[in-house]
Parts: sequence; C-alpha cells; structure tokens
Amino acid sequence: MSVIEITNLTKRYGNVLAVNDVSLSLEPDKIHGLLGRNGAGKTTLMQLLTGQDFASYGTISVFGAAPVENAHVLRQLCFIKESQKYPEDFRVKHVFRNAPLFFENWHAAFADQLIGEFRLPLNRRIKKLSRGQLSSLGVIVGLASRAPLTFFDEPYLGLDAVARQLFYDRLLEDFAEHPRTVILSTHLIDEVQNLLEHVVVIDQGRILVDSDAEELRGSATTIAGTARAVDEFTAGRTVISRQGLGSLAQATVSRLSAEDRAAAAAAGLDISPVSLQQLVVSLSGAAESASQADNAAQAARGSRGERTLQAERTVQAERTSQKGQDR
Amino acid sequence: MTTLAATSPAAARSAASAPRVVNVLRLHLTNKWTTLGTPLLILAFIFLVNYVIWLLIYTSTPGGDREAVQGTQYSGSIAYVFIYMAIIGIQVVLRTFPFALGFSVTRRDFAFGSALLFGVLSVIYAAILTIMSYIEQATDGWGVGGHMFSTVWYGTGSLPERFSQEFFGLLLFFFVGAAVSTVYLRWRALGQMLLWGIIVLIGLAAVTLITLTNNWSAVGQWFVDAGSYGVVLWTLPITAIAALFGFRVLRRATPVS
Amino acid sequence: MTVIEDGRPIFVQIAEQIENEIIDGTLPEEGQIPSTNEFAAFHRINPATAGKGVNVLVENGTLYKKRGIGMFVATGARERLLVIRRDEFEKQFIRPLVTEAAKLGITREQLVALLQKEA
Repeated sequence: MSVIEITNLTKRYGNVLAVNDVSLSLEPDKIHGLLGRNGAGKTTLMQLLTGQDFASYGTISVFGAAPVENAHVLRQLCFIKESQKYPEDFRVKHVFRNAPLFFENWHAAFADQLIGEFRLPLNRRIKKLSRGQLSSLGVIVGLASRAPLTFFDEPYLGLDAVARQLFYDRLLEDFAEHPRTVILSTHLIDEVQNLLEHVVVIDQGRILVDSDAEELRGSATTIAGTARAVDEFTAGRTVISRQGLGSLAQATVSRLSAEDRAAAAAAGLDISPVSLQQLVVSLSGAAESASQADNAAQAARGSRGERTLQAERTVQAERTSQKGQDR
Repeated sequence: MTTLAATSPAAARSAASAPRVVNVLRLHLTNKWTTLGTPLLILAFIFLVNYVIWLLIYTSTPGGDREAVQGTQYSGSIAYVFIYMAIIGIQVVLRTFPFALGFSVTRRDFAFGSALLFGVLSVIYAAILTIMSYIEQATDGWGVGGHMFSTVWYGTGSLPERFSQEFFGLLLFFFVGAAVSTVYLRWRALGQMLLWGIIVLIGLAAVTLITLTNNWSAVGQWFVDAGSYGVVLWTLPITAIAALFGFRVLRRATPVS
Repeated sequence: MTVIEDGRPIFVQIAEQIENEIIDGTLPEEGQIPSTNEFAAFHRINPATAGKGVNVLVENGTLYKKRGIGMFVATGARERLLVIRRDEFEKQFIRPLVTEAAKLGITREQLVALLQKEA
C-alpha cells in the first residue's frame, strides 16, 4: 500500500510543462529524496501533492484519496515550503501558538527543545528573520508536527553547517522513534544522500530516476584515461555522460561487474565511484542532450560539438547548485 | 518557552480535533492588534479629533450654544471605521491564506473560518457603536452637542434597529474587502486591474444613465423612502453576492508565489 | 572504517564494519551490538539501511536476535568470519601479488624474502 500514487500527472503553466506526464508511487514510512536542479519541477510536484495547486491532467492519490480540498487527507500532512509566506504581523511565537491547532501529532516539548537548539528568537517578527532563521523555523515546524506525511522543500537554505547537521540528526532520531513518510526535496544531494531510503530524480518535469537509494549507490562508475582507451572500453556500453580534454577523457558508465573492473584496470583506466550528486548531474545533462538530440540541426553539428556542449552543461549544473548554496 | 511547553501532546491533539473552521478563526485572532487593537485606536482617534472640533465650536459660540454644534448630526466621520473594516477584510484574507494552506487547511475551511471572523468582529464592533450611540444621546452629544455615533443617517432608531444597521453595514465592508483580495489571490495584479476597471465602468454607466434620464431626484427619493434601516437591509443581497463571489474565486486560488 | 564511502551500498559497509569489530574482538561473542537506531544516528544514515546491514548478518548466522532485547553476536561467529576472510585474503591479495611479482620477474624465493622483511 503506497502513501502517494500519481498517474500521468501533468502541470502546465502557459507554455511551460512544469510537471510532464509523471507516474510515481511512494511507499509509507520511508525517507524519500526528491532530487533535481533548481526549476526541475520539485516544488510544483509537491504543491500538487499537497492540494495547493491544481493538476492540468492526471490523477493524484494521497492516503488513498485526491488531496485537493480534502480535509481528511490534508490534516495528515505537513508541507514545509521554502518560499512559505507568513501573515505580516506574525512573530515566531505566533507560528508555534497556531501549530497545535492544525497538526494533530504536534509535540510541543520537542518543538521547545528544537527552538533552543536552533537558537530561534521567539519574539522576533518573521519579517526580520534571516534566511537561515526562516529555514530553522520551517525545519522545527516540520519535525515537531510529526505528520504522517511530511514534505521538506529545500529545508536548509541559509543554514550553517552546524544547524544542518542538527537537522539531519534530529530527523533521523525522531524518524527512528516515530516512523513516518518524509519527502526531502533538495539540490544539495551530497549531504543528504545517506539519509535517504528511496530516491526520485526529476528534471525538466520528468522523472529520471525512481529507485532504492542503495541500488543507486554503485550503479554508476567513472572511468578516466586516454580518450582511445575510454572509447574502446565504453563501446557497446551505456554511457551516462562523457567529457573530453585533449587526448584525455572520462566517462560515467552504468554498473560494472568485477570482470569489467578488472578489464578497465588492465586497459590502464582509473576507476572511481560516482556520488549520488555526480550521478544526478550526469543524468540531468544526459537527459538534456537526449532531448536536444531530436533537434536535427544539433545532430548535424556532429558528435564532437555535442560532447563539448554536454561538458559545458555539466559545469553549468554544478555552478547552479553552487549558487543555490550561497543564496 | 514554558508557556509553549504547557501544551502537552494530548492537549495538542484535542486542539487540532476542534472543528477546522473554529481553528481558522483562532488563527485569524492570533494577533489581536490587527483585528481589534488598531481599529479601536483609529476609532478613538477620530472621536478625539471630532471632540476637539466640537469643543472649539462650542466655546467660540456665545454662551455655549449647543444648537451651534447640531450641524454635526450630518457627520460622516464614522465612515472611516467602516472603510477600515474593508481594509481588514483585505488584509486578513491576503496575508493568512498562503499560511493557512501551508498549515494544511482546505480553502473551504479557510473561507468559512474567515466568514466566522467577519461575523464575530461585526458583532463586537456593532455592539461598541450601538453603546456609543446611546451614550452620545444620554450625554446630549458628550456635553457639547456633538454627533458621531448618532446622526441623521443612523444610530437613532430602536435598539434592534441600531444594532442591525451597524452589524449589516460592517458585514458588507468585511465581505467586499475580502472578495477584492480573493481576486488578487487568484489572478494577481492583472485581476485587480480588471476588477477595478469593471467596477468603475459599471459606476460610470449608472451615473450616465441616471443623469441622461434625469432621474437623480428619483434616486434621492428612493433613499429617503427606504430610510436608513431600509438602505442597510438592501446591503444584505450585496454582501451575499460578495461572499459567494469571494468563495467561488478562492476555491481555485493557489498560494503559488 | 567509520566513514561511509561513496559508490558502495551502505548496508554492505555497515555489515563489514560489524564483522571487523567481531574479528578484532571489539564485539565479543554473546555480546550485544548497538541498536539499528544507534548505528543510524552514529553514521547519519537511514535507519532502514542500517537495519538491512544488520539483517545480512542475522541471515548468515553471525548475529542472532533476542526478542525485545536486541542483537547479539553468535558463538563461533568470529571463527567462521576468519575462515571466510582468510579465503578472501587469498583471492584479493595473494593471487594478484603473485601475478604482479611474476610480471616484474620477481622469483618465488625473492618474494618470500620480501614478505619476511615486511612481517
């Protein structure tokens, strides 16, 4: 029995397909990662799942029913949105005064503990909070609500390393004691990858990966060496991405067996593991070039030009994620 | 923080199991300055300014002639209070809607909770205005013959008449304000412009029509015939339309930034 | 081996770590091992993943479960692990060593001498 069941979900804003024909099913009592670049469609998907937005096409079932305007479904979930707006006259304490009214499992003592640990000033106006404090507020509400289905949308923008670790620790502890379904959406994958049990990667509104996190680990390997050796080795294999620099090249390929590894080593190639972050970046780049491959003009430019383009894109993707971190 | 800790999990569960609509009302009343403090301060301020003016007229007339201040029975200064209620109607919906949805409230419960708030606030303010109108009469215009809460327009009939006049009038302003903000929530600035454009066009059309048909006296006569109580009763259908319109618009609104 | 590496399933790494601690005696036979949640909190990993690592060892008989109390190291687990590890040692280290030595023209006697010098 799944908590969330989506079929052929599409959300269109004008000409933009923010969510494009997505089908997905998420199991209960797991921490799911919803990963992807900025603007990939993560927030839109969560707004649809929480009944805040309306689907253009397709069906959504949360706890067995459509979430839109469904009080029975909505009262079981908590959506911590990165861009959450608060009433203008609100102070931090006002948020905590209201939370018990709307979250049935609200745990005030836990909230108090977290307020202390995150050093959140209760009397400050929400408008005056820093980005990090605003994120802390969301994190605390999301954790203390203990909602059967909790969404965290980019929960730690502006949080320093200490606060982020605190969030991971408290999430794991509380999740272990009170299992529930958590959906963690982020583009900062490296830090959270070990927390996840299931991973969904979304790019340009489409699902790229929907997999058990452990299966995904080690599902790809990067090999590096001379361009000739790399090309010889990758011939006939699924290449997720490839970058070249003069006579050197490196390629990310899907799962290698022990024999494959031995063969690669014998060919003088360096083998290194691919982190989830790198994998997502490679896949996003690959999806983009695949969609561009339809373009005849692009194809006519030849494989070489395409490769360079792809390398640029990977760099760009990294920059984008860097930018998000600084924000 | 000890005050927060006082809410045990069990207490929280019972708080959350109260009707959602009631909890939306409590959410709206979180910060009482916005809904009660500020409007009452404005009312007090208007009263004070008026009182200073009455006093000036009263003391500058020979022998303290109360009749001289009688002109204030045509005062419309109370209108500010009603207009401020429309502003509250706008603020309450605009500011709280994205937050309420973030706290897993349905649009329906939010709308009904907001309507409940407008009802409660209208009762409170209508009671205050009614009491003030009686004090004004009993003290013969606060001792100087001033009029603010009881004028030729309203606040002079029987108790039920006075109270319902204030109550229905306040309701109208709350719901019209709220309806205006739902248009913004749903269609943003473009929707606002269109809405005001349409309102201005309808207004202009009505004025033109009445002027062309030489019917201004008939309109004036209608107000006189209906009486202040009758006019207020005529706000009811407008209030109902505003409420229904606001509800329909809100049902498809999204808190997307 | 307390740091989780990239590119390998975490549950495998957790299982390996417990095995290592059984082999070096940190976790004695019939001793209780930390709970799944303690593993999860310590390594900042998903509790289900930690549980999967522990379960691998329960299935192969290295650990056993006392209902309502926790997980314990089975008697004879260390000896059995040593047998397996020695076997792996041969495959993973000795064979490549011998192959590489042959490639470099190191004779059997020289190889033995080198090993003796190291040990």
